[in-house]
Amino acid sequence: MKPRDLVRLALSRLSTGKLRTALTMLGVIIGVASVVALVSVAQGATKGISDRLQSLGTNLLTVNPGFSRTSGGGATRGAFGSATTLTLDDATAIGKLDGVAATAPQLTTNKLVIAGTLNETARIVGTTPGYLQVYAYDMWTGSFLSGASVDHNLRVAVIGSTTATNLSLDASSIGATIYIGGLPFQLTGILQAKGGTSTQDDQVLIPLSTAHELFVGSNSVSTIGVSAVSPDQIDVVSAEITTTLEQRHGIASGGVDDFSISNQAQLLGTVSSVSDVLTFLLAGIASISLLVGGIGIMNIMLVSVRERTREIGIRKAIGARGRDILAQFLVEALALSLAGGLIGIALGMVADFAIGTYAGWGFVFNPATPLVAVAFSLIVGIVFGVWPASQAARLDPVVALRYE
Amino acid sequence: MSGAIGGTIIKLQNVSRIYDTGRIQVPALLDVNMRVTSGEFVAIVGPSGSGKSTMMNILGCLDRPSEGRYILDGQAVDELDDDGLARIRSRSIGFVFQSYNLLPRTSALENVAAPLMYQGVPRKERLQRAERALERLGLADRLHHEPSELSGGQQQRVGIARALVTEPALILADEPTGNLDSHSGAEVLELFHDLNALGRTIVLITHDVEVAAAADRAVHLRDGRLQDAVPA
Ligand SMILES: Nc1ncnc2c1ncn2[C@@H]1O[C@H](COP(=O)(O)OP(=O)(O)O)[C@@H](O)[C@H]1O
Ligand SMILES: [Mg+2]
Repeated sequence: MKPRDLVRLALSRLSTGKLRTALTMLGVIIGVASVVALVSVAQGATKGISDRLQSLGTNLLTVNPGFSRTSGGGATRGAFGSATTLTLDDATAIGKLDGVAATAPQLTTNKLVIAGTLNETARIVGTTPGYLQVYAYDMWTGSFLSGASVDHNLRVAVIGSTTATNLSLDASSIGATIYIGGLPFQLTGILQAKGGTSTQDDQVLIPLSTAHELFVGSNSVSTIGVSAVSPDQIDVVSAEITTTLEQRHGIASGGVDDFSISNQAQLLGTVSSVSDVLTFLLAGIASISLLVGGIGIMNIMLVSVRERTREIGIRKAIGARGRDILAQFLVEALALSLAGGLIGIALGMVADFAIGTYAGWGFVFNPATPLVAVAFSLIVGIVFGVWPASQAARLDPVVALRYE
Repeated sequence: MSGAIGGTIIKLQNVSRIYDTGRIQVPALLDVNMRVTSGEFVAIVGPSGSGKSTMMNILGCLDRPSEGRYILDGQAVDELDDDGLARIRSRSIGFVFQSYNLLPRTSALENVAAPLMYQGVPRKERLQRAERALERLGLADRLHHEPSELSGGQQQRVGIARALVTEPALILADEPTGNLDSHSGAEVLELFHDLNALGRTIVLITHDVEVAAAADRAVHLRDGRLQDAVPA
């Protein structure tokens, strides 16, 4: 039999029982749609996180107090009460190293911020002018913390765009007084939004010295952000920082450090390996529904072979060979699974678009996903169609013709 | 159509068919010898249970003899594998059944064209030939009707068109009038007569002696044995 004849037979069969065809395909549709949607969601989520990390600057190194970790630890880690082995002087020493563009020592706490009649509890970061460069922020309006403000413990503040919105502050508010932990500060600037659902836009920046004076009585810092002059300097700078800090802290080279250095590349690596696991996990779960869909096809095909025993007998009497019958039923199963797969891909992409739009990472389309999904549904069709089809092909024509 | 008129088309030599039901063995055909000449119209007559359908299955290459030889149109059928039998059915035999056995939810045209599909004939030619066959049987205005939309007599004529469309050497009809009223039955027998007059070899199986009278010659089956066998 010619392939075109097989396809024509399959399509005319499937179109005579539309409801049954639709119900049979439903399993594959749901399976493929969930594979496509879940894999895209995993990839979209990863992209969202990666974008956010990228927006922090790929030149970024983060020095944290405490023992070394192999990975993890972010720019916003650390708070009062955690290890206090890093000081402002450490940051100053790092700032003098070759290949370091800027440093941003930070001290972080949470305080109630009041502006007019509005208030919120916000993350307060005491830092230095280098912060703007290290974390790649732009000013939306006003000016950032000046060197003088740090030198003279001025009570000035720069706020993130989300904080500004929450407290109803805008360009006209520059110079106004806001209260942080009950103390008056002058608002000097508002940062440009980083975008996304980031918490990076919800914070209040004040001079590090002011934070030391008002909120903690030592010169320790919870994090030092360091910007290398270029991404390929990251490793060199990292080694320099290690040497410098070991010297300053009196730690023998190769001893146990009381600080740790992480960089964006490590973080991105961690994120992508976590997301690979997540993708496989979600694809695995979705594959189970595809498997169930395949079993649905097999079930219907078996019923169909039984119902059509007489038809099979007739076809054999008029000249069909076993392999013609096999091909006919197999192509039917394939048509079911392929049509289900294509509808599933369409639905999955719609779901993907909806979720991506809602979650803010946009429409993540990976052309490999539908290809894999189509291949998968074809495999489902073959695997679950071949047994019923071979049952049909093996029927004895005499028995089949007598079948009522 | 092969087999020159006058040549032997069917030759059964000591053919037996014994059904093995596991517990007992049922001999449905015993030591049957028969010869049919090309262009003949032969009736195989016998009461129910005499082995007529068994005979038809063997003649039609749907089944193989347990013993003996079956030579159809010069080809020893008992030596063929399943695909070989399918090829013989496709090329050399046209079946007409008591219950018509048309493909359900399939138009008369597609039903008649179906055997040509298994011969690998291109679709356009298939449909042309099927249409011509149906026209010859007076069904030109029923091409796109499905079996459920046709009367018994019309369905049987579609069945005959399907048996004819491949121009087979042999037409095998198992109780073709069994489900028809006497008028339609007579029409079908008339058709066979005309086809035979055009040179077709026809083997008609029936329990009805009157129906058998339509044939040139009748052989009688009883308890799996041929009563007045023509020596092979
Ligand atoms: N598949 C089978 N298994 C066992 N016995 C069978 C089978 N088919 C037919 N028979 C027996 O063989 C005998 C002849 O049957 P059949 O050829 O159908 O006769 P007819 O068509 O003349 O009525 C009967 O006794 C029947 O019961
Ligand atoms: Mg019978």
